[in-house]
Amino acid sequence: MFPGGVPMGAQDRLQPPSIPYRFFASALLFHAAAWVLLLIGADELPGFRGGMGAVPAALHLITLGVLAMTALGAAFQLLPVATRHPLGPVWACRLTWALFVPGVVLFAAGLITVKPMFLHGGATLTAVGLGLGVLLIGRNLVRVADLPGVTWHTWIAVASAAALLLLGLALAGDVGVGFLPDRGAVAAAHAILAAYGFMGNLAMGFSTILVPMFVLGPNVPSQTGQRTAVLSGLGLVLAVGGVLAGLGWLAALGGVAGLAAVGLHLHALSMVLKKRMRKRLEPFFRLIFPAWGMLVLSLVLGIALALGAPVAPLWGFALVFGWLLTFVTALLQRIMPFLASMHSSAGGKPARLSELTARRPLDIHAACHGAALVLVLAGIAFDVPLLVRGGAVSGLGGAIAFWVFAALLARRYQLHMTSHS
Amino acid sequence: MIKVKAINTGVADNNPDVEPFDVRPILAEGTDPFEAIMRRAEAVPENGRLVIDAPFNPSPLRRVMAGKGFSSRACKLAEGHWRVDFNRDGGADWQHTAEAEVLPEGALVWREEDGVHIDVRKLSPPAPMVAILRLLDRLEETVTVVVHHERVPHFLFPELAERRWRVTRMAEDFVNVRLWLDREGA
Repeated sequence: MFPGGVPMGAQDRLQPPSIPYRFFASALLFHAAAWVLLLIGADELPGFRGGMGAVPAALHLITLGVLAMTALGAAFQLLPVATRHPLGPVWACRLTWALFVPGVVLFAAGLITVKPMFLHGGATLTAVGLGLGVLLIGRNLVRVADLPGVTWHTWIAVASAAALLLLGLALAGDVGVGFLPDRGAVAAAHAILAAYGFMGNLAMGFSTILVPMFVLGPNVPSQTGQRTAVLSGLGLVLAVGGVLAGLGWLAALGGVAGLAAVGLHLHALSMVLKKRMRKRLEPFFRLIFPAWGMLVLSLVLGIALALGAPVAPLWGFALVFGWLLTFVTALLQRIMPFLASMHSSAGGKPARLSELTARRPLDIHAACHGAALVLVLAGIAFDVPLLVRGGAVSGLGGAIAFWVFAALLARRYQLHMTSHS
Repeated sequence: MIKVKAINTGVADNNPDVEPFDVRPILAEGTDPFEAIMRRAEAVPENGRLVIDAPFNPSPLRRVMAGKGFSSRACKLAEGHWRVDFNRDGGADWQHTAEAEVLPEGALVWREEDGVHIDVRKLSPPAPMVAILRLLDRLEETVTVVVHHERVPHFLFPELAERRWRVTRMAEDFVNVRLWLDREGA
């Protein structure tokens, strides 16, 4: 063993850097592609009521291509380290990516072209890829007895993923056949399970570890994590049950339970921030705070929608682009250099985060992303496609700035490793 | 900082025949002896003693036992051989009889010939990382810090690099990972 290196038993739990970064690189490409599609579908967005075309394609590029892609890459890297149990063979991680990426491309192409062959092929590849990834995560979690605050949320995410995949396959299979009695209700249930059930619970579970770690604060008590998981699970059951049964009040009640879970979760994290050791919050928090605001807004809009208010596009955008995309890009800009530094340390050549992180592209991304959210939300609210178009251009600018950040990170990492070899 | 009261053997004043419970073979087999120790601890009467032989100073165990009303004193008998004497007397003074400081996160810090030691085992994440960084941030002198951890703290490494500290040596046993940290250039 070289001086300062990591013993092999432990290094085994560190996936090769190519595993998380292949997911992250794909996510960044889909991020830009989604804004391009939103630009193309800007006229449809304010009055969007579901169906095919550029808008749902953009939506799925974000949910599958960016959010789920990042979640898989991050979970594959962080889970085995956090739980101290191996995740599974590296080939299975690579296979997940190899199935998932073409699946997302094909599925988005199917939504744009309305060709059942693309839709069905893409949905199948996506489902198998995501299913394999979720299986690997679940396999890791069954060996974990501690960290209940994280694992309870992750189990709900795993269960939600299984349900949303089934509903998603049913929706894709329904195209051109029409066997679903109420396609809109199934689509709504699918959306709730995907955004709040799968991504939402992953975000809440991992936040209880990542936020205290990044601000050097006290850990979130396990009991709090368990309570938020129970409330979140209850909210999901009520909301999905209400939507499928056509009972708006029941779905709204689910939204209220979700609000309670989020309130408890944010209160716990605010306590972490209050007692943190690192006094100066890092730049990625300028995205985290608005993301939390958007999460609350999305739940309020969701409750209004369940009670009959015509706010579906506003709800969908606040939920997917406002909360989840903002949150995930915030974490990505912190995790990408963090993992690079972690890998360089494991190789005995520790690189500093401040050397790896290019700040200017992230400043540009934050400004462009913030402007995009404001413009698109205003465009939907006031039915002005021009504002949506402006927002999409701004979002695309932010996505390109993020590419520059990632390219500089890769370059700086390579230079560091070469200069220390 | 409080002065140490070293003991010579596991012999207790009120029970000179107490036999040390040697957990070293159990650890060598890859089994955590915690449950076995707890079972023995439950059988100890008021003012009774329990003596443990371990390969290292089991600070996390001492914290847990303090919560169960046991004071403890430890001494190093030889390399890889520590003896800890637990006394079921309420446990109020356990910290005051050890040559150690307890950080807010519950980590134990003490000095030995080879540097400043910090024991973060049995703490919930991210308390180990916070405690280690809290210690590093306040150290002004050039000194080696020896971390007693129960896992390889991968998430700590980027923070160490940022503070210009590096891991110069690492040893990994079952639930006992030790890292030697030095400032860059020291």
